[in-house]
Amino acid sequence: MDMTAPAIEITDLNKYYGAFHALRGINLTVSRGEKVVVCGPSGSGKSTMIRCINQLEEHDSGTIQVFGTLVDDNLASLDEIRREVGMVFQQFNLFPHMTVLENCTLAPMLVRKISRADAEATAMRYLEKVRIPDQAQKFPGQLSGGQQQRVAIARALCMQPEILLFDEPTSALDPEMIAEVLDVMVTLAQEGMTMVCVTHEMGFARKVADRVIFMDKGEIIEEAPPETFFSHPRNERTRLFLSQVLGH
Amino acid sequence: MTASSHTLGRAARLRRLRRGYFGSPLSALMTVISGAVIAFIGWVLLDWGLVNATFGADGTQETCAANGGACWSVIAVRWRVILFGIYPYEEQWRSALACAVVGVVILLSCLPRMWSFGRLALVWTLGTVIFYTLMRGGVFGLVPVNEQQWGGLPLTLFIFVATAVIGMPLAIGLALLRRSDYPVIARVSGWIIDTIRSLPLLAILFTCAIVLPFMLPGFLIGEKLYRVLFGAALFFAAYQAEIIRGGFQGIPKGQEEAAKALGLTYWQRTFRIVLPQAFRLALPATINQFVIAFMETSLIVVVGFMELLAAGNTAFKTGTWKFAYAEVYVFVAAIYFVFVFGLSRYGAYLEARMNVGHRKD
Repeated sequence: MDMTAPAIEITDLNKYYGAFHALRGINLTVSRGEKVVVCGPSGSGKSTMIRCINQLEEHDSGTIQVFGTLVDDNLASLDEIRREVGMVFQQFNLFPHMTVLENCTLAPMLVRKISRADAEATAMRYLEKVRIPDQAQKFPGQLSGGQQQRVAIARALCMQPEILLFDEPTSALDPEMIAEVLDVMVTLAQEGMTMVCVTHEMGFARKVADRVIFMDKGEIIEEAPPETFFSHPRNERTRLFLSQVLGH
Repeated sequence: MTASSHTLGRAARLRRLRRGYFGSPLSALMTVISGAVIAFIGWVLLDWGLVNATFGADGTQETCAANGGACWSVIAVRWRVILFGIYPYEEQWRSALACAVVGVVILLSCLPRMWSFGRLALVWTLGTVIFYTLMRGGVFGLVPVNEQQWGGLPLTLFIFVATAVIGMPLAIGLALLRRSDYPVIARVSGWIIDTIRSLPLLAILFTCAIVLPFMLPGFLIGEKLYRVLFGAALFFAAYQAEIIRGGFQGIPKGQEEAAKALGLTYWQRTFRIVLPQAFRLALPATINQFVIAFMETSLIVVVGFMELLAAGNTAFKTGTWKFAYAEVYVFVAAIYFVFVFGLSRYGAYLEARMNVGHRKD
């Protein structure tokens, strides 16, 4: 991996589900340390796009590079990319049969081959960072949604990734729990993590995004810094979308 | 969960009982009638099995008939035939010891602290070696005893354990192949499973015992017992594979995605994330399959092995005890009961244990 190359470089990406053209010629470059917020109506392909980056979805044409390493059929480079790209899901996807601590130490021990003691020390550090070290011995099922999502963030951080992908991290949460998760994400952003967030939280976008990207029908329609994006959206579809999310 | 009886107060509990059993004239009537039926059956069994029964090795058909109840003397006289079959009489202590070894191995494997690959492998390898040495003999001054002469409880336990121990990895393999991303592999595995499931166990056992020797090269034929075991294991695997597949289907897609995103390899995902959760979901059906496998050990008699039930059958086939078949069957049934009931209770314990922290409330 070449740390001087762009963190993510997507060129002319296309993806089909059968006859449905889900991604249409996506071009996107994210530099190291940059925070990008992706928004758009549901079905616009935003989740599909970020899921292509770590190959939870396979793309049909175009290229994706992570720090200069090409995402392709080579398993070794895919392993390398997944080590450096963490992901936080809408449904948390914690492992229900393991404690919070085990959730956080599993991948570092198996993938990064670090000792249990080191993995647990790292895990406790990140659990403190997301403010739930006291829940380490509990099972995910015993935690609230907000707590589970913070554990999921800690679990991703334990791999010490260069890039974090967020796939609608607050969409499955009760309103009163959204803030605690966003707070953690803001802290991460301020510390310089490279982040690509698919989210409808426009307040979060205003606060931390370097760039906001608007997608519709599998295309990137508009991209701009948050000030311009919110005050002077150029495209009609963007304006319509913004009036819907911000309108009430 | 609804409030169970132990979360209610004493008065509420009494009230619930009264309402449940005597809440209306009809339910009061049903309570009285079924109570009477249960009491009658219980009394008949007690009367036959205990009050009027004959115990001790000196009972005969005449004394038993005079007492009117069960003739447990048949067990006192013939228990060694029932438990050990035609295993040489002087060597039957080896059979008893072998049973104890299997028992210890099973009990050890049930303890959660033994649940690591290394420990289980050690216990099972040691157990198998000791069992085989004891039963087969030919070393350490033990008289050799051919597999054809094994019988009774050790044979039943051996068939059951071997079926499960060989069958389970096969089942996991078949289930994993069936969910392969490659349609050819998935389909072939599906065909194998469906083919085995569409054959009766008896046909498989006969094929392994009688037909296989004509088809296999000499060095592969081996002892009949092991060929038959392989057939039983294959049969077990086909059913168990479908049970595990059911477990796979209950796991949310996000679990594997999260594991992939963390960089876990296929095998790490399979053994750390997918299989543990699949087995949790499939536990009740798996215990059921074990129970069926235990019962089906009795089918092996058709290819000429004297397992527990067959040994019981021979115990009353001699002239003097022809009348006492009921007692022998009750005795054999009690042995099956101990194992199967233990298995079911252990399954219930596992379920309770796995639910700790797994469910939210």
